[in-house]
Amino acid sequence: MIPRRLKSLILPMFLLPGTSHGAIDFKTQVYPILEAHCFKCHGEKKQKGDLRLDTLSTDFLNDRAAAETWHDIRDVLNLGEMPPEDEESLSFDELQFLTGWITKKIDSVIEAKKRTEGRVVLRRLNRNEYQNTMRDLLGIEMDYVKNFPPEGLSEDGFRNDGSALLMSDLQLEYYLEAARKGLAKAIVTGPKPKTFEQKFEKTVKDKNRGSNFLDQDQQFIAKLTEYPSEGEILIRAKVRAKFVQGRGYPQLRAAIGYRADTRAPREFFKPIDVTSEDWQVFEIRGRIENFPLPSKTQSKFPGLLIWLDNAYAEGRDKPLKARGKGKKQKLPKGPLNYPQIEVESMKFIGPIFDQWPPAYHSRILIRSKTRTDENTDARTILKHFMSRAFRRSISQEETEPYLRFFKSTRPKMPSFEDTIRETLAMVLISPEFLYLLEPSGASKRPLSDWELASRLSYFLWSSMPDSRLLRLARDGELSDPEIFNKEVTRMITDKRSWHFVEQFADQWLDLGALQRVAINPNYYPKFDESLKDSMRGETIHFFGELLQKNLSALNILDSNFTMLNEPLAKHYGLAGPRGSTFERVALKPTDHRGGVLTHGSFLLGNSTGEDSHPVKRAVWILDRLLDNPPADPPPDVPNLDSTDPNFAKLSVRDQLAEHRKSVSCNECHRGIDPWGIPLESFGADGLWREHILRKKTKGKGMMKLPVLPQATLPGGSAVTGIADLKKHLTENKKEQFAEAFVSKILTYALGRRLELVDKKVIKELTSKFIASDYRIKELIHIVVASEPFLSK
Amino acid sequence: MSRKSCHLPRRTFLNGMGASLALPFLECMGADTATTSRPKRFCGIYFPYGVSLPKKKSEGSEWQWFPDTTGRDFQFNKSLQCLETLRKHVSILGGLSHPNGRKIGGHDTADIFLTAAQLKGGQLKNSISLDQMLAAKLGDDTRFRSLSLSVDGGVGEATRSSTLSFTGTGQPVPALHNPRIIYNRLFGKEDKTLLSRRQELQNSDHMLDLVLEHSKSVRRKLGKQDQEKFDEYLQSVRQIEQRVERSEKWLDVPKPQIDASGLHLEADDKTPGELIKTMFDLMFLAIQTDSTRFLTYQMGNMNGATSIATKFPSLLGFGKSQHSLAHGWNKPGGSEALGKWDRFRAEQLAYFLQRLQDTPENEGTLLDHTMVLYGSSNSNTHNNNNYPLVLAGGDKLGLKHGGYHRFGAEIPLSNLFVTMMNRLSMPTASFVDSTGEMSELTV
Repeated sequence: MIPRRLKSLILPMFLLPGTSHGAIDFKTQVYPILEAHCFKCHGEKKQKGDLRLDTLSTDFLNDRAAAETWHDIRDVLNLGEMPPEDEESLSFDELQFLTGWITKKIDSVIEAKKRTEGRVVLRRLNRNEYQNTMRDLLGIEMDYVKNFPPEGLSEDGFRNDGSALLMSDLQLEYYLEAARKGLAKAIVTGPKPKTFEQKFEKTVKDKNRGSNFLDQDQQFIAKLTEYPSEGEILIRAKVRAKFVQGRGYPQLRAAIGYRADTRAPREFFKPIDVTSEDWQVFEIRGRIENFPLPSKTQSKFPGLLIWLDNAYAEGRDKPLKARGKGKKQKLPKGPLNYPQIEVESMKFIGPIFDQWPPAYHSRILIRSKTRTDENTDARTILKHFMSRAFRRSISQEETEPYLRFFKSTRPKMPSFEDTIRETLAMVLISPEFLYLLEPSGASKRPLSDWELASRLSYFLWSSMPDSRLLRLARDGELSDPEIFNKEVTRMITDKRSWHFVEQFADQWLDLGALQRVAINPNYYPKFDESLKDSMRGETIHFFGELLQKNLSALNILDSNFTMLNEPLAKHYGLAGPRGSTFERVALKPTDHRGGVLTHGSFLLGNSTGEDSHPVKRAVWILDRLLDNPPADPPPDVPNLDSTDPNFAKLSVRDQLAEHRKSVSCNECHRGIDPWGIPLESFGADGLWREHILRKKTKGKGMMKLPVLPQATLPGGSAVTGIADLKKHLTENKKEQFAEAFVSKILTYALGRRLELVDKKVIKELTSKFIASDYRIKELIHIVVASEPFLSK
Repeated sequence: MSRKSCHLPRRTFLNGMGASLALPFLECMGADTATTSRPKRFCGIYFPYGVSLPKKKSEGSEWQWFPDTTGRDFQFNKSLQCLETLRKHVSILGGLSHPNGRKIGGHDTADIFLTAAQLKGGQLKNSISLDQMLAAKLGDDTRFRSLSLSVDGGVGEATRSSTLSFTGTGQPVPALHNPRIIYNRLFGKEDKTLLSRRQELQNSDHMLDLVLEHSKSVRRKLGKQDQEKFDEYLQSVRQIEQRVERSEKWLDVPKPQIDASGLHLEADDKTPGELIKTMFDLMFLAIQTDSTRFLTYQMGNMNGATSIATKFPSLLGFGKSQHSLAHGWNKPGGSEALGKWDRFRAEQLAYFLQRLQDTPENEGTLLDHTMVLYGSSNSNTHNNNNYPLVLAGGDKLGLKHGGYHRFGAEIPLSNLFVTMMNRLSMPTASFVDSTGEMSELTV
């Protein structure tokens, strides 16, 4: 459970194979080894290099200098620098024992120093939580975090770990900016703005583009000379599909921007499947300020452009054409056999309001009818807004600093509304908003109902509690076990739980890896980049299906179904859905699919972009599925010395076997490599393969190597291929997987790393989880009812 | 800080691509060069995983990053050949490293490239980086005290930080990574009136005061551990207060106007060639306009697991990911493959240095007043000694160039930092583990 990153820093060697966990007695077990090998030069008589070992303290915790000396001793032992060549060396077992002892001592110090006594650490909202919270608080859908610096990952790979989420002046500057931008829109002034409305039946021509029939090249383009610069807008398109045998639905996609050339600044809306050949009207909504707008004063490209196009081509098996530095091949002549969309008309309306002032404005700006005393109004507004922003009840006294700001600023500002915007911006940079603040004393205490509401909603919704949760908290009812359980069920069923599904699956399974690998088109000429989104979608929708249908988490190891959309089903060569939405697809054993180990997201994300990467895949399995990550390579680890000219002709499996011949590599890699080798049948593109392509070392072209998926796992089980590996996992490793899964969910739920003190709780939760037949929904109920989740 | 009134028309266009202004911004603005201190700058550039180091006479040995012989008559090998025209203004340094980095994991060393620190405690606390130390002392005269950039942006995670800059308390300084955002910060037009911006800054000042005061009472209610975390917030509020004050001072000085048409501000991780070049263009412009004098740019970190730069060589046609290239240097053809990637990076550096060299300033050039340190914290993968380093510029600040110097392991890299600081008007006796200066590099 010690994070990998630290392990590598402090203990540069290893995984101790089969170290016994019994206590080691220094005097009788360690001292004699030192006495036999070291004291001659580092003892009572001589102290070479100023080092004396017979009196060196073994109190690692309190004697830092001694601890560091022991650390150095272990390093020279591991590197074989000591004992010197002319002295008798330690036997392999002695070396293992001695370095193992030092390592354990250091580990325990790290744990002791890092301890939070199993208490949740103060944490600020992360990027995603901030975005959702601002949207829910202000009621305005806009990108609040566009300029924010990206968030770091915790050592366990999560983005909501309090200790890893740092604050900085830059961060604070962006919070203030986002608050001002949001409040400028949420609080309106003046009369209702004019609504622009324009209908287009013919497209604008732009070179060879521009048509009412949308295929892979043709787009419908409309140019607006008059348009709003802010507010919600509506694009209403009347279209129909023209299907093609054997292909799925065409996809209607709108975009807003300006300048109709290849460098057009524009942003897209999410595509929609057009599922009928009859005329249909689609309404597409968004806030116009989220799109690039031409500068009104000095644009070289005046006018706003709206595009409608057919996104079907994205991710489909395109004909080969110029890509990067690869060979150029011409597009075949004539139309591609793609489904089309015919546009009858497109209408633009904006800005649109449900009422004036809008509901989101009135929810914040509660003014008394008489409007005599601005200060009284300000206090009412503040108390109400602060209670939602701070997610708890607010006393009169707490509004004081904000009211003071209001009063002193009001004379300098043009209007009441302007001053309120600034005052509420101050609320939004206050620590009570930016952090999940839980006051605490010397000992652990149960959470208040307010705190409980926030913990639940940030766990399951990645956002602030809704009004129902806040009401239950206010009335002190949330901690009532029956109500609590009902609420948890409601929250999981609510569509906002998608945030949990997406965030947790993404972070736990490291779906971001997809974006860090570039597929080499020389190896996979047909691969389209946009398939990566579908691959991510498969894994997230798969996890979502397990949660919502309350299925067993063991499906993650192996399943008889997966979630596919049309592009990914086509890529996998499976019959499936016609559209871009993910649907459940049943699998046969001959499909070679089922479980996340067969998902493109895992296979591609842990590849080199040209070939599989068995070591990465293995580390992923050990880390993500079994919670037993190997350490990073030590400093100065020798590279593979591939002096053998035939090395490049070896399969990866054989190359790794070469690698393991080196003693120092073997130490770790014999426990790692076998987990990745059975997956050799899957290429970097996530597809089943019969042979491995490798660039010839001399001359042009590719050579074909056989796939060799045979390995012997630690413990001696021989496995051949993915089916065997999954069988081994589901039969022999399911308890370990269950514990890993519980640990990961608990880490995410608490927003902190787990420690030795949590071990007991993890064991308890794991046995409950197994007793519930590994059901994920049950596990969430188990986790939120656990002691760490309910206490501060 | 006193500032002369602006002699330039407000719309002074600097060309994004070429230097259309004969003089740097400050001089045109009428700053009296006799009384204001001459700009003295530092720019630190880092790349991950080290370089190609084939053995002499082995296959691909012409791709050995270091020259074959030391001294002033050295010959560049292929990967640094592009620096030949700048030869008089660069030094190649070999054999150096941070002693504190030698003990830690092979991929864990980027964080201390400019700090030399021993990462401490469970949270792996760092200490102040060279650029931030200089900026704290010497950064008063520019709109921005410092500028930290990286490919990944933000702070990343300890030992794999996505920034080179660390504050006095060892906190990572978030790096900017999006060219458009950087451009807007440095040169973007304000959409609000001067009056309303002034009011906004005053409001910010006032609300930060009140928030700070109020936060102290919040702090008292927290547990001990949370208090430590909370202090990050308090510190950030104090820092941003200073920044607001600085913005108020600069309010009347219009931001320099740059024609962005030659810049690829839309570049991102999918177009790495444009992205890297644009970052160097932005750094050049920041220097040319004297927007800041202390810059860092991390061209990727060694978090193969999360850095978006990992895939750049594959996208640019170098065949493999950054990590695989670095690991494969001793496979057949590997030293050439990695060497070509080394050359590509060096070409970006050469482009940047040449732009600085082509722009006159104070009887010299921008490069003469800018010390650029370019390098990595590995010689090759997992090897934390013998950093590949290029030191360039600063000829008018007291640096002496034109040689390839090799140092023994007893010389810590911090000695270079001390040497630089003493010539950047920051008299310094030591930096972390330094043992002296480097007389080889000084006039």
